[in-house]
Amino acid sequence: MDVEPLLLLLIPILINIGFFKLKLIKVLSILSALLTILISLSLYFLTPIITTFFLITKFTTFFLLMITSIYLLSTLYSINYIKPSRIVSERLYYILLNSFVTSMIFTVIVNNYGLMWVGIELTTVTSALLIVAEASETSLEATWRYIIIVSAGVTLALFSIILIYYNYHTLTITEITPENNIITRLAVALALIGFGTKAGVFPMYTWLPDAHSEAPSPISALFSGVLLPAAAYVLYMVYLINPLINIFVIFSTLSIITTSIILLNQWHIKRMFAYSTIENMNLALLGLVLGQPLGAIILLLSHAFGKAGAFYSSGIIVKILEEKRIENIDGLYSKLKLTSASLLMSSLAVTGTPPFATFIGEFLILQTLIQKGYTIEFVLILASLATAFISINYNITKIIFTQKGINQTNLKEPTLITFISLISSIIPLILGILLLVILP
Amino acid sequence: MNSSEILELFSTFIVISALYIQGQAYFKPAIYVQAIQSTLIAILGFYLGITLSSIDYIVLGITILILRSILITIFLFRGLKEKPGIRESSRGVASELILDLIFSIIASLLIYYSVLKKINIITEINNTLILLFAFILLFQGLFLIISRRSTIFQFLGFIEEENSTILLGILLLPIPFLIEVSIFLDVLGLVIVSSILTLEKIEHSRLDELKG
Repeated sequence: MDVEPLLLLLIPILINIGFFKLKLIKVLSILSALLTILISLSLYFLTPIITTFFLITKFTTFFLLMITSIYLLSTLYSINYIKPSRIVSERLYYILLNSFVTSMIFTVIVNNYGLMWVGIELTTVTSALLIVAEASETSLEATWRYIIIVSAGVTLALFSIILIYYNYHTLTITEITPENNIITRLAVALALIGFGTKAGVFPMYTWLPDAHSEAPSPISALFSGVLLPAAAYVLYMVYLINPLINIFVIFSTLSIITTSIILLNQWHIKRMFAYSTIENMNLALLGLVLGQPLGAIILLLSHAFGKAGAFYSSGIIVKILEEKRIENIDGLYSKLKLTSASLLMSSLAVTGTPPFATFIGEFLILQTLIQKGYTIEFVLILASLATAFISINYNITKIIFTQKGINQTNLKEPTLITFISLISSIIPLILGILLLVILP
Repeated sequence: MNSSEILELFSTFIVISALYIQGQAYFKPAIYVQAIQSTLIAILGFYLGITLSSIDYIVLGITILILRSILITIFLFRGLKEKPGIRESSRGVASELILDLIFSIIASLLIYYSVLKKINIITEINNTLILLFAFILLFQGLFLIISRRSTIFQFLGFIEEENSTILLGILLLPIPFLIEVSIFLDVLGLVIVSSILTLEKIEHSRLDELKG
């Protein structure tokens, strides 16, 4: 019996037993996040773990590390950020947060396509109420769109799972060997639409900017940094049954192009980062399907921290300045110095600026893309990445350095959440420098 | 009446119930018909369970009956109680029904002739055409979601989608895993949608903040 994966699932769920006292559940949640990080690290050295229930390889442990690290950062951030609302109390918030993380961990470690599907569905169940934590009219609408669009997509993914079962009479991943026939082709194509909905693939990504922008910032960070990679992981596992490389490349390219166009005219700070997530996620998916898992992993890891930093610092801006419109935010550096630093660094990280690790990941993926002969896609993606880079960084530098209105210099930055935001945005830079030393 | 004819008859009633919901503007009858639709699927499960001597189908039938036919109906009615009107404010339900018929039938025929007929799928009852009913129900559910503004009708569309998956599953293969799957889907419906969102937001519209 493998104890570590079981503990990974049990700890975040069992600590919910402390729900009766708010302080206790907060402390237990932090403790749980710390423990799950340690277990994920230990699993790296114990892999591969292949049983009838679990499938954990070194590749999986990177996803586990991503999930548990952002779990810790978001839990710490939530302590000073989340206020109770009429729909979600603070205690319920932590219960849902712990359950949400468990469902993501479950999704990436099970050795069964059917259970992976259940895991993805569970992430919707556990996260929907987290979006509505601030109980505004727009967050209710965003939650509803999230549930309806994602559920419709995941229903299509279930059709795909049914076809896999029909073809193989089993859903155990390790018992399934790749096969090229029309049923597996159909199953993989349906999975691209179904699981692609959750992973942010064109054209079903429309729920994503709504949910990311209206959720509280620690939840946006979890959504963007780890929920989407978890869905991309499932999509990739299904892809391995029958690698329809061309169709995946086309849809990922379309996703990157459309989001870069939308980014040209984005007015909402959190929506801007949400669209950037679609772009990064599709690039990582490209890396996976092109056979460049190293590039994809580097990109995903760096993106998880960078994007969490971006959402954390946007959260501080929205909370203190009570403003979401990019055009109405100015002179941020004179108002919130550390937040400005964090926002700038995370923005540079998520747009793939060297020497952030995201750049290395993107470079490896683009190199593989051209090596495999996808020249047109390479040109289109490069142009889209440049557009997105300019759009996002132009907006962020404008927010930070332009001074239009009255200078409010007496604003106080909340210490803990600013510190977390800063740490999160520095990690991609450290990772990038380390990789530059190690990789050659 | 042979096995295939019985399944076809039930599947036809299921599709008719979906079209009835599409053509209905009042909440109450639509919720009742949803319960009937789910019950018909449960009966299909019982029938297949008896004829194929499979306990899985019977368990699935019981699950659907308890969760969808009874519990979801109760939750939806509870959500309705606190609202002043019981009719959706949108107009043009009849024209939507015609559009829906065109959309569902064309889409399903396309699926049948371009996919199902080509891949030589063998169903439990040796009748591939019967799978078409599941696809009609799926597209009908999707159309209901996109054509309506009220939470309850969109939720009914969502249940129709779930029902279509179950229908496809039970007509295509033995379904041990589908039992767990359907329970989780219903938990989603029960816990989140019914208890919170239907009470909080009865209709949906385009919000400026969610544009772009």
